[in-house]
Amino acid sequence: MSEDFNDNKTIQAQSSETTSGGGAGVTPDTDYVRPAEVADQDLYHGHSFITKWVFCQDAKVIGVQYFLLATFTGIIGLILSWLMRLQLGFPEVASFMTAEHYYQFVTMHGMIMVVYFLTALFLGGFGNYLIPLMTGARDMVFPYVNMVSFWMFFIAVGVLLASFFVPGGPTGSGWTLYPPQSILEGTPGSGMGIILMLISLSLFVIGFTMGGLNYLITVLQARTRGMTLMRMPLTVWGIFTATVLAMLAFPALLVSSIMMTLDKILGTSFFMPTILQAGEVLEYGGGSPILFQHLFWFFGHPEVYIVALPAFGIVSDLISVHSRKNIFGYRMMVWAIVVIGALSFFVWAHHMYVSGMHPWFGFFFATTTLIIAVPTALKVYNWILTLWRGNIRMNTVMLWCLGFIVTFVNGGITGIFLGNVIVDVPLSDTYFVVAHFHMVMGIAPLMVIMGAVYHWFPLVAGRMLSEKLGKWHFWFTFLGAYSIYFPMHYLGFIGVPRRYFEMYDSPYVTSAVELNQFISTAAFIVGAAQFILIYNIIVSLRIGKPAGKNPWKANSLEWLTPAVPPEHGNWGDKLPVVHRWPYDYSVPGAKEDFIPQTTPPSEVADTEAEKT
Amino acid sequence: MHAGIIFLAVIVGSVLFHIFTPWYWTDVASNWGSMDDTITLTFWIGGGVFIAVCLFMVYCVIKFSYKEERKAEYKPEDKKLEIILTIATTLGVAALLAPGLIVWNQFINVPKNAIHVDVMAWQWGWQYRLPGEDGKLGSTKVANINDSNPFGIILEDPNGKDDVLIQSDVLHIKNNRPVKILLRSVDVLHNWYVPQFRAKMDAVPGTITYYWFEPNKIGEYEVLCAEYCGVGHYGMRGRVFVKSEQDYENWLQEQETFSDLVAKQGKKEFSKTKLAKK
Amino acid sequence: MADPKIEGYEFKPGYKGMARDTSSDQTMFKGVHWGKAMMWIFLLSDTFIFSCFLISYMKGRGSTTVEWPNPSEVFALNVGGVPVPLLLIAIMTFVLITSSGTMALAVKYGYERNRKMCGWLILATALGGLTFVGMQAFEWSKLIHEGVRPWTNPFGAPQFGSFFFMITGFHGTHVSIGVIFLSIYAYKTLAGHYDTGKRGWFTSMKGNYVEIEILGLYWHFVDLVWVFIFAFFYLW
Repeated sequence: MSEDFNDNKTIQAQSSETTSGGGAGVTPDTDYVRPAEVADQDLYHGHSFITKWVFCQDAKVIGVQYFLLATFTGIIGLILSWLMRLQLGFPEVASFMTAEHYYQFVTMHGMIMVVYFLTALFLGGFGNYLIPLMTGARDMVFPYVNMVSFWMFFIAVGVLLASFFVPGGPTGSGWTLYPPQSILEGTPGSGMGIILMLISLSLFVIGFTMGGLNYLITVLQARTRGMTLMRMPLTVWGIFTATVLAMLAFPALLVSSIMMTLDKILGTSFFMPTILQAGEVLEYGGGSPILFQHLFWFFGHPEVYIVALPAFGIVSDLISVHSRKNIFGYRMMVWAIVVIGALSFFVWAHHMYVSGMHPWFGFFFATTTLIIAVPTALKVYNWILTLWRGNIRMNTVMLWCLGFIVTFVNGGITGIFLGNVIVDVPLSDTYFVVAHFHMVMGIAPLMVIMGAVYHWFPLVAGRMLSEKLGKWHFWFTFLGAYSIYFPMHYLGFIGVPRRYFEMYDSPYVTSAVELNQFISTAAFIVGAAQFILIYNIIVSLRIGKPAGKNPWKANSLEWLTPAVPPEHGNWGDKLPVVHRWPYDYSVPGAKEDFIPQTTPPSEVADTEAEKT
Repeated sequence: MHAGIIFLAVIVGSVLFHIFTPWYWTDVASNWGSMDDTITLTFWIGGGVFIAVCLFMVYCVIKFSYKEERKAEYKPEDKKLEIILTIATTLGVAALLAPGLIVWNQFINVPKNAIHVDVMAWQWGWQYRLPGEDGKLGSTKVANINDSNPFGIILEDPNGKDDVLIQSDVLHIKNNRPVKILLRSVDVLHNWYVPQFRAKMDAVPGTITYYWFEPNKIGEYEVLCAEYCGVGHYGMRGRVFVKSEQDYENWLQEQETFSDLVAKQGKKEFSKTKLAKK
Repeated sequence: MADPKIEGYEFKPGYKGMARDTSSDQTMFKGVHWGKAMMWIFLLSDTFIFSCFLISYMKGRGSTTVEWPNPSEVFALNVGGVPVPLLLIAIMTFVLITSSGTMALAVKYGYERNRKMCGWLILATALGGLTFVGMQAFEWSKLIHEGVRPWTNPFGAPQFGSFFFMITGFHGTHVSIGVIFLSIYAYKTLAGHYDTGKRGWFTSMKGNYVEIEILGLYWHFVDLVWVFIFAFFYLW
C-alpha cells in the first residue's frame, strides 16, 4: 500500500532551484522565486491494469479516455450526417429512410456533435491532459472525482446510444428539444426516446460539473512556483474560462431537462399550454413553451462559447509556436477571452428573435450580441498580427490554424448577420443559420482540434505524425468543408427552411437540387478524408519518427517534462519553477529562437526579453 | 508559399461565387425591402472585413515563410494599434446595429390601417380567419374547437359572428394594404413564412403572436412552415394570393362567415369537447 | 480572520491586496485549501440551479390564468381544531437553522481537534437534517392526501403542485445527500481518521479536519436555499 504513494516527498522550500540544473553555486537574486505555498501533491499510483488504464486517476489517462470516447461519438455523429446528406442530395437512393428516421438523425447528430463530441473533447480531452502540465501541477487537485467524471460521461453516452434501441427510437425533436412537440406524438421518439435523452443530458451535466470543478481549482490553486495567471498559455485561459461558463450555464440545461421530464412522465404543465391533438384536448394547460426556450438558450449560448473559447486559446498557442513569434497582445487576448465569456450570458435570446417573445427584447439582445463581436474581432486581428513579421513554419499544424482563421472569420461574420435582429427575421430557420453554425462551430473548432492533434501527438505518443498524410488530410478537409458550407448560405437566401425532409416541388427551390447534390458529395468526401488521420495515427504509433524532447521547440511547460510521454506525476522529483511567460520567441539577443518558461533571468540577462 | 496561393484562390472563389451565384434572394414582394438593404449593408461591411483579414493572412503567409536566418519580430504589445482597431470595430458594429434597430422598430410597430388576419396553425396545416365588417376578430378558445366550430370561436363574443372563415390553406390578401398576421397554434410551435414577404414569426400555442407586412406585388406565393413541428413539418404548406382591390373584394364576397356556418349547422352543441388521456 | 502565514509572501489590505493575490503565482486564494475553494464553486453552480427553479416558478406563477392557491391556507396545520398557518414549515425552518448551528460548532471543535465533541455535533446535525426530511415527507403525504398532485390540485392553478413538489423535492434530495455525508463524516471523526491521517476508502486521500468545514459549507448552503424557498414559495 505504501508503494502507491511517495510519502517522503519534502516541501520545495529552496528559492533558487530550477529544473535546468541549479547547482551548488551562488545563484543571483534575479532568479528568486517564492517558495512553495502548499505541500507537494500526494498522488495515488495504480499498479494493476485496471487501476492504471481503466479506473485510473491520472489526468493524462483520463484525458485520453475522454478523447477516445468523444471521438467515438463524433464518428457516430459523422455517419448520421452522411445519412442526412444522402436524403437531401440523393433522395431516390435514400428511399429506405422515412421522415421519422431523418428527424431522429438530425437530432442525434446535433446533440452528439455539440455536447458529446466538441464539449467533451475540448474540456475533458484537452483540459485534462494539458491543464496540469501547462500549469506545472502533477495532476488535477481531486483525481478521484476526476476519474468518476469520466465514467459519468461514459454512462451518459451509454444512455444516449441506448435511445436508438428503445421502442419509438431516439428523439427526433431537433437538438433544441423544444416543447410541446418534443413530448407529443407527431414527433418521433416522443416516448422513451426523449426521456433517455433528458436523462443522458442530466448525467452529462453532473459528470462535467465534477470534471469542471477540478479544472477550475487546479488552475486557481495548484499552479507551480512562478506560474502567475498572466504567465499561463492561452490554451489554459480558454479552457478555464469555458469551464467557468459550463459551471454557470449547465444548471439551466439541467433544470429545463428536469422540468421537461416531469411534463412527460408526470403530466405537469411547466412548458405545456392547452393542446388539441387528433381532435381531443389534452390534459395539459397553463404552461409556457417560451420558458423552455429561455432556459435552454441561457445554457445554449454559453455552450457554443464553451466550444469556441478553448479553440481560441489553443489556436493562439499553435500560431505562436509555429510562427516563432509571441502571440500579439497577450494581455488583450486574455481580457478578450474573459469578456467574451462574461458577455455570453447576456445574448441568449438572439436565438429567439422570432419566438414570439416580447419585441422589446429584440433591441436589447441585438445590441449585446453585436457588442460581443468587438472582443471577438480583436482576437482575430491579434492572430493575424502574430503572423505579421513572424517566421512561419508552413507545416500541417500551421495549415490547420490558417484554415481556422478563414472559416472562423467567415462564420463569425455570418453571425453578425443573424445577430442583427431584423436581418434574422428573413434568415431565421433557413439554411443560412445551418451554414453559419456549422462553419463557426463545426468547421473552425474542428480545424483547431486537428491542429492540436498534430501538435501534441508527439508529446502524448512520443512519435511524430506523418507530415505528408497530414497535408492531404488538411486540404481535403478544409477545401471540402468550405465547399459544403459556404454555398449553403445561399440556400438560406432563397428561403429553404431547415429541418425539411424534402422540398417537394416548391417552384423556386428546384434550382437548389444540384446544389444539394454537390454539397452531399462534398460531405461524403470530407467524411472519408478523416480516415486519413486515423490511418496516420495508427501507423505513426508504430513507425512514426521518434519525437524526442520538445520537437517543436516550444516554451510552455508541457514540453519540459523529464520523460516523453510524461509519466504519472509529470515532473519526476522536482516541480518546475517558472520565470517568464510562454511567448518568448525570437527574442533579440537570445541564442535560440525560443526561451522555455523555466529559464531563469540570469541565463538570458543579455537578451531583450521583457519582464513578464 | 504555394499553400498561400490556394488560400488566395479560396477567397477569390468565394467572391466570384457571390457575384455569379444563381441562388440568391427571391424577388421581394412586400415593403420589407429594407430588410434586404440591411443585409446588403452587412455584406459590404462584413464581407469587406472577411476579405481584408484573409488577404492580410495570405500576404503574411507568403512574405514571412520560414527561413532559418530570419528572426521574427519580438513585440509583445502595441497599445496604440489595439486601441485603433477597437474603435474601428466598434464603429463598424454600430454602423450595422443602428439601421438594423431602426428597421426592427418599424417591424414591431403595426400600421393602424392594417387588416388583421388570424392564421391558425395545427399539425399539419393552416386555416385563416378575417375580421369581417366590424373589423374585429372574435375571441377563441382551443377547447371549443370541434368539427362544427373549427376555429373555436367563443359563441358569446359578438365580434366573432361576422368573422370570415377560410377553411383551407389558401389565403387571399389585398395588394398595397398592410396586413397584421396574428398567429396562433392549437398544438405545437409553427411559423407562417413566405420568403418573398421576408417577415416571419413563430406561432406559439397558448398565446397569440404577430407580425405585419404590406404586399406590393400581385401574384401567387407559397407558404412554408418555418419552425419544426414534427414529422409533417416539411409538408405543411399553404398558398397566398395577392390580389388587386377589386379581385380581392370579389373573392371576399364568396367566403363564408361564422354566422353562415352556425346557420348551416342548425342547433348543435358547440362547447362540448372531449378531454383526452395523454 | 487573520491572514494566513505564507513564507515569502506579504499580504496587503483591501482591493489592492486582492489584486495582488490574484496576480501572484501559485494560488489565487491564499491559504485556502483546494477542497474549500472547490466547494464554494460547486455551491455557486448549485445556486444557479436553484435560481433557475425559482425564476421559472416566479414566471409560472406570474402568468397563471387560474387563481394561485393561498399558501397560508394550504400549508396550515390543524392543532386542536385551530388551523395554524405555516406551523409545520416554521418548525422545519427552526430545525434546519439549529442544525446549521450545531454544524458550525462541530467545525470549531474539529479545528481544536476535539474528536468527541466534533463527532457528536456532526451527528446532531445529521439528526436535524433527518428530522427536516421526515417533516417534509409528512407534509408531502398530508398534501397528497388532500388531493395535491404534480399535475393538478383542488386549491387552484395546477402548476402550484408541480413547482411545489419539484422544488421541495430537489431541496429535500440535497438535504438527504447531506445527511448521508454527515453520517459518514461523523463516523470518520469519531473513529479518529482525522487524527491518524487514515486514507479515505474511495479517494485514497489522507483525511484532514478541513473536510468538516467543507461539509459545513454545503450544509449552510442547503439551509440558505431553504430560507429562499420558504420566502418565495410559502410566504409570497
